[in-house]
Amino acid sequence: MKILVVDDFSTMRRIVRNLLVELGFTNTLIQEADDGNNALTMLRAQPFDLVVTDWNMPNMTGIDLLRAIRAEPSLKGLPVLMVTAENNRDQIIAAAQAGVNGYVVKPFTAATLQEKLTKIFERIAASGAKA
Amino acid sequence: MSTLIPLASDESLPSELRDLLNSPEGPAFEHALDAMVRQREQHLFRALGQLARELHDAVRRLGGELAQEGVPGIVADARQHLQDVLEMSANAANRSIDFAERIRPQADALAQRADDVLKRASGDELVAGFARDAGGFAETCRTGLADMVVAQSWQDLSGQRIKKVSAFIGTVETSLLELVRLTGALAGAEAPVDVAKVTSQEDADRLLSEFGF
Repeated sequence: MKILVVDDFSTMRRIVRNLLVELGFTNTLIQEADDGNNALTMLRAQPFDLVVTDWNMPNMTGIDLLRAIRAEPSLKGLPVLMVTAENNRDQIIAAAQAGVNGYVVKPFTAATLQEKLTKIFERIAASGAKA
Repeated sequence: MSTLIPLASDESLPSELRDLLNSPEGPAFEHALDAMVRQREQHLFRALGQLARELHDAVRRLGGELAQEGVPGIVADARQHLQDVLEMSANAANRSIDFAERIRPQADALAQRADDVLKRASGDELVAGFARDAGGFAETCRTGLADMVVAQSWQDLSGQRIKKVSAFIGTVETSLLELVRLTGALAGAEAPVDVAKVTSQEDADRLLSEFGF
């Protein structure tokens, strides 16, 4: 399993990484990117199973990254979990319409992150079983 | 049907203006009107000038106060101070996460050891009880450490605000100058848009569920 954590604050990347380990993703390779542009380059270069991204970042924001992923044939099925302080209605709707798989509002708890991740992986398992 | 009041006798107009409208001299009328408009503009410029000066004084005082406290303080340093706060808070958050990463394996090892001891206690209630306590403590540590790590997200949230304030300070002075130049545009300034805030995870979830998520 490979997860890409995208956030311009290194503290936040560390926090998410710590939580993923705490939630049992121990045999998981967790990589980091500090904005959408770098994330996209990494996603094109190697396969990932999940992207956990912030919204508000320089160069390329999380929502633009999400749209870029959905627009690229080789990446469009990739699950994307948004973890962000952006909490106004329009932004959440924009993320939903762009095809986000989960949305966690900062500040969040380990339990919330776990719940959203579990849902995403359950859905992947379910769609995998159907296929 | 209401009667149409001729402009020259409209009671709501200032008397000077009514007199002018009644005046038969065209050029004198225009001249007087220009003078009135100019007078109003001067009021506006004076008010704006006053505002700019007060703001400038306030910023300079802030710089002076910072300098008295031993911080190398001139106004241009204001953003540097914020940058320092950002770095200090990141260092503090990182130290807390370092601590959690250091202690977590020890808590795991203690839990494992407690489990082993419990299996071999074979009826020794004293040993079994101690092993259970140790196991419980290890678990409490794990949960507490995870909570502590999550709590460090304050650094990210406050840091984002600091970045915004820093950018704001950088544009205030430029904007002020621009404001004085573009007084004419003031009348057309737009009111801020009221954005509906979603305040909690539940609100976000509810909103998403409306979209089938």
